[in-house]
Amino acid sequence: MSLISVDKLAVFVGDTCLLEPISFTLNAGEKLTILGQTGSGKSLLAQAIMGNLPKGLRTEGEIRLFNSPASAKSRRELWGRRLSMLPQEPWNALNPLMSAKAQLAETYHRVRGDAYDAAQQNADYTLELQGLGESRHKRVDQLSGGMAQRVAIACAMAGGAPLLLADEPTKGLDVNRRDQVVEQLISQSQTGALVTITHDVAVARQTGGRLMVIKSGELIEHGDASQILNNPQRAFTRELIAADPQSWPTPERQPRPETSVLMETESLAIGRGEQTLAKDLSFKIHRGEVIGVVGDSGCGKSTLGDTLLGLQPSYGGKIKRHCSETTHRWQKLYQDPTAAVSHAVSLGTLLNDTIKRHRIDKSRVAPLMKRLGLAEALLERRADSVSGGELQRFCMLRALLLDPVFLFADEPTSRLDPITAQSVSQLLVDVARETNCAVMLVSHDPHLIEKRCDRVVRI
Amino acid sequence: MKLSYLCTSQISTSRLCGAVLLLLLCVYAFATPLLSAQDAASQNLSQILSLPGGNSWFGTDHFGRDMWVRLADALRLSLSMAALCVLTSAVIGVTLGILAATGPSWVDRTLDGVTTLILALPGLVLVLIFAAIVPGSFWMLYVAISLIQWIEYFRVTRAITQRIARSPEVQSSRLMGFGALYLFRRHYWPAIAPQLVTLASFGAASAILMMASLGFVYVGIQPPLAELGLMIVEHFPYYSDAPWLLAQPLIALALVVLSCHLLGGKKAS
Repeated sequence: MSLISVDKLAVFVGDTCLLEPISFTLNAGEKLTILGQTGSGKSLLAQAIMGNLPKGLRTEGEIRLFNSPASAKSRRELWGRRLSMLPQEPWNALNPLMSAKAQLAETYHRVRGDAYDAAQQNADYTLELQGLGESRHKRVDQLSGGMAQRVAIACAMAGGAPLLLADEPTKGLDVNRRDQVVEQLISQSQTGALVTITHDVAVARQTGGRLMVIKSGELIEHGDASQILNNPQRAFTRELIAADPQSWPTPERQPRPETSVLMETESLAIGRGEQTLAKDLSFKIHRGEVIGVVGDSGCGKSTLGDTLLGLQPSYGGKIKRHCSETTHRWQKLYQDPTAAVSHAVSLGTLLNDTIKRHRIDKSRVAPLMKRLGLAEALLERRADSVSGGELQRFCMLRALLLDPVFLFADEPTSRLDPITAQSVSQLLVDVARETNCAVMLVSHDPHLIEKRCDRVVRI
Repeated sequence: MKLSYLCTSQISTSRLCGAVLLLLLCVYAFATPLLSAQDAASQNLSQILSLPGGNSWFGTDHFGRDMWVRLADALRLSLSMAALCVLTSAVIGVTLGILAATGPSWVDRTLDGVTTLILALPGLVLVLIFAAIVPGSFWMLYVAISLIQWIEYFRVTRAITQRIARSPEVQSSRLMGFGALYLFRRHYWPAIAPQLVTLASFGAASAILMMASLGFVYVGIQPPLAELGLMIVEHFPYYSDAPWLLAQPLIALALVVLSCHLLGGKKAS
């Protein structure tokens, strides 16, 4: 029996086609992975199937669920119990006022229909299984991005829906957790069907099943996952596979020229709230050096950056800055660029604000934009109408215009597709070397750290 | 993976209705004294409690005063009071709210204490006390109502600003060396402004109601000035002889409040 059958499904805004007609059928136990770059319309497909497309978009084609035609309205009735979706931005999908356990237990209780006590027990058990036992009473804002994602996954799966759509389920997770999540998704699909939307080739490889490669709304390649990934027919697919950090070329290690120390820490302790996250961190940062920061999700990687930048008090130990540069030359790139930029005005206005504030030479903007691959037209738009990758590069543009001496890059590429991530991270490293700016690069991907950084700090 | 969707900033029908209704009332209130030669205070005792129609469109009251003119006078007073109160309390509330959310913690604690103190008293009682000090003074009423109303703006602004002040966007702007004014212009104000429209609409309605309540218990605006609450209580004895007379200020009051509430209603989703 086919759980889902999609026939020539297309998404339009006005007369513009955002997603070209696509057809597939999934039976119980089958898996489909949709692989593509950011902004290629993958998420639209998921939203079209769920029936929660934003206003102003319309679909064409037919969707049949569980062997009967399903209108957008009738699909809504299936949500949670028969058809479930893992949302892309976990912190937006969770209730900010409830603890992790409370919302998971609520899902078990209300959606799956467990008795109240059983729901509480199930919630405890699941969180323990996800390695969140100690964080069960925390609210979303107290969880790290990766932890919030795990809670969201647990909630989406709690209803026991046979048909699961996962929209970028592994975004921002470290490799171990990523593997765990994918395994969990696969085990789910043994009885039901699974549609995974991802930009991560490793996830596609691991999930197996069928694979569809999408490029700007158009289906490029379609077939068995292992076959396509081992023997890609189209140039775009090859490019996508080559952009996986694992397949990046290993940089030639040249001995770095001795540069002066920019900053050093002595048995630094960092923490958030009442909790000390890490102790005895002693390291030196030289000018122009690229340092990788690795550690499990929630171990205090972001907190380290905030402490070094003076945004947060240290919990012991010393930080010595060996330079007298003004504070605006100590910059930070954020994990979620959409949250790091004002949505009220266009990007061009924001850029002009920065230029005016620091009397930056305007002629520097155009070449740097070109290098970052940012189109001029982008500046007319607001932060909410550009893709995450574009916005992250815009943030880089602003930071680099300030001639930083230190740049703390907190998972700057975790929301970018691999092709963009490869170039953005390469660019970051190149610019750092050229301008003698020290970069601290946080990533959950050990391959990325290995290929990009001179040294690694482990928390 | 967000695409730019059509950003439909449509005004909902209910908001539109509210705006049109309020505009009509304003036109009536502010244009009538310009167009009509009649005076709201001139009495004509030979023609009291006359039916609407004929010489005076809304009839005359128990002193033979023209109701069309008096109602316009009363509305003008109420609308001016509402506008003044909204403006004052919004400016004070938003300023202090931002100060409390971004300033040192003692500012926040002090302001929070003050607002809690004021909130501990029922608003109307506080206004009554003020109004009793100088009965019939428009300005005393204005001070008293504004004193009550700034708190709402303060609380909303403070809550929104606190959230944004901790967000990465503000942290990023700070790191880039931008000052407080810039943070207000680019971060705080865009988040606060949409809420202000709603707050202001409801605030205007409650200012008008408060003023009418005080008029009703004779501590607000004093006769012979026309004021909605005062008119209601003045016409009360004649409700069986001239029910239309009592109905007029009541309907006017209801219409003003309705228009404000429609205006402040939910945005079209």
